[in-house]
Amino acid sequence: MSGISVGHDPLTHERIEQLVQARFPDVAADITFGELTLFASAEDLIDLLRFCRDDDELACEALADVGGVHFPAGEHVIERQTSTTGWPAHRVSRDIGVVEVNYVLRSLSRNHWFRVACATSDDGGTLPTVTGLWPGANFPEREIFDMFGVVFEGHPDMTRILMPDDWLGHPLRKDYPLGGVDTNYKHGKFIPPPHQRDLREVIGDTPAATRHLPLLPGDADSETGGDQ
Amino acid sequence: MSTTASDDFGQDVFVDGADWEVVEDAVGESTITVNMGPQHPSTHGVLRLVLELEGEIVRNVKPVIGYLHTGIEKNAEYRTWVQGTTFVTRMDYLSPFYNEVAYCLAVEKLLDIEAPERAQAIRVILMEFNRIASHLVWLATGGMELGAIGMMIYGFREREHILDLFESQTGLRMNHAWIRPGGLANDVTEDFVERCEHLLRLIPEKMREYEDLLLDNPIWRGRLTDVGVLTADDAVRMGVTGPLLRAAGVPYDLRKAQPYCGYEQYEFDVQTQDAGDSFARFLVRLEEMRQSMRIIRQALDLLPGGPVMVADKRIAWPAQQSLGPDGLGNDPEYIRHIMGESMEALINHFKLVTQGFTVPAGQVYVPVESPRGELGYAVTSNGTNKPYRIHVRDPSFVNLQATNLMSKDRMVSDLIAVVASIDPVMGGVDR
Repeated sequence: MSGISVGHDPLTHERIEQLVQARFPDVAADITFGELTLFASAEDLIDLLRFCRDDDELACEALADVGGVHFPAGEHVIERQTSTTGWPAHRVSRDIGVVEVNYVLRSLSRNHWFRVACATSDDGGTLPTVTGLWPGANFPEREIFDMFGVVFEGHPDMTRILMPDDWLGHPLRKDYPLGGVDTNYKHGKFIPPPHQRDLREVIGDTPAATRHLPLLPGDADSETGGDQ
Repeated sequence: MSTTASDDFGQDVFVDGADWEVVEDAVGESTITVNMGPQHPSTHGVLRLVLELEGEIVRNVKPVIGYLHTGIEKNAEYRTWVQGTTFVTRMDYLSPFYNEVAYCLAVEKLLDIEAPERAQAIRVILMEFNRIASHLVWLATGGMELGAIGMMIYGFREREHILDLFESQTGLRMNHAWIRPGGLANDVTEDFVERCEHLLRLIPEKMREYEDLLLDNPIWRGRLTDVGVLTADDAVRMGVTGPLLRAAGVPYDLRKAQPYCGYEQYEFDVQTQDAGDSFARFLVRLEEMRQSMRIIRQALDLLPGGPVMVADKRIAWPAQQSLGPDGLGNDPEYIRHIMGESMEALINHFKLVTQGFTVPAGQVYVPVESPRGELGYAVTSNGTNKPYRIHVRDPSFVNLQATNLMSKDRMVSDLIAVVASIDPVMGGVDR
């Protein structure tokens, strides 16, 4: 009835890596947590994805997922509680901020999947659209545009999808604060966003004492003498 | 740079639509643009469809979404890993256990731990009951939208029995946050198996009633047969998964293809139909409920004993406690231990509850087969006590793209059947 068959003959990660790198020598591969990630450049992206879809051995008929992650520029020290967890601290430093877009490719006929990651600048970065290969990438790409500001060139309708059309900013970026929108609460109360509350954070270079600690709703009441 | 892809799918496959149309555009040569929703009884919540109508014929459908956007993905970045379960369970509110399990499996993969066998089996039982409950809501609301008002009452009635089971175990009917990274919040109650058995007797009996009511009902058949046909090729290209894909003849089910939570131990059949229309989806979902009961039956028989949380005290949220008559979790033995015996245990408990555990840096993608299709969690950690990013691939969100393809050049009434057969849950679509 259709050209879609479902089978179980997955390629190993090494074989997928080998097949792709034979055609695209610049593509780096990484296997972590048992998941294969191929790092493609924006120039190679469409050709690579088309190759993965049309190659008889890779046979990735479906694009399972498209998702974005924002890694801003700058230096970040990640300190872990080595005494309790045993995991060491490390330092992350990036010269340019990127939005990494992850394409999860799935082969139904062979039953394997892997990830193709493609990074673009977080400051006006663009990527070619994959809606020409999988029309189902339409909504996910619009979501990434909405949430991270990455423009997908050639997309049939590059508009916001979840946020209102006139929204400013891209909410899932790391430089977009949580609770950044003023909300009118009853009696002019101010509910601080979670990251301004006095949470005992494992990380963070701001000492708790200097952090801005707004009054909690209960405090506001007692200040006006409303409790008596 | 090859930016434009050349494959010609035609324009039908693309859906577009911003929030606002310019008013002058609303009346075309022979078409008018009509808003259906966001407040409309047959749009499953707050789905807005901008229809281009030529008389009663739908020429174009633009799903406009975002009316239920709650920023869960952003919010979760500011909470600890355990608090994350409380958030993700509220996405697809008709299948909360799937959200929780997928999220916890992703965190467990990052932590390189596996929940104990008993916890896995209980997860499966609750997930499959959740699938039945979700399909019952689909039957109920879908029935109501297509004129079978009685079906709505029956569907919700039986679902309530399943939610009673959930409430008895988790304390909540929905949005349980009961499945935690590493296992479960607490063990099931003593009457758990008995309650499950009761449901396994009740549901097949009621399902026969639904079949009597709908299966040979000429109106039901007429409204669904040959309506909203989606071929297998189109379904795969559009990323459509779940019952829609299986109704188009592709026997792809993540429970079989990439088993998780021990699904490989259970015998069940992947249901497919060839027609690819709305009636085929009805048949697939109906039979899936039976298969779910088969899985529950086996899981109950095999239900292993033992703990329901990993042993590693650096991760394990205290799971020994049981729900007391005051509605709070109590465990006198545990409290005696941390308060009276071990200062270290008290410190550990305090840090675990206030700061949470840290998770090694990295990224994983964990999909599960939810009642609506592939529910994937792409979780990124930077090695701290909070998620760096949680991206959710929600099946409703992706499946909704096929609306235009399925309802183009059909009557408006067929569009209702199409949306009903997609079974979108707006909490999952908008997140």
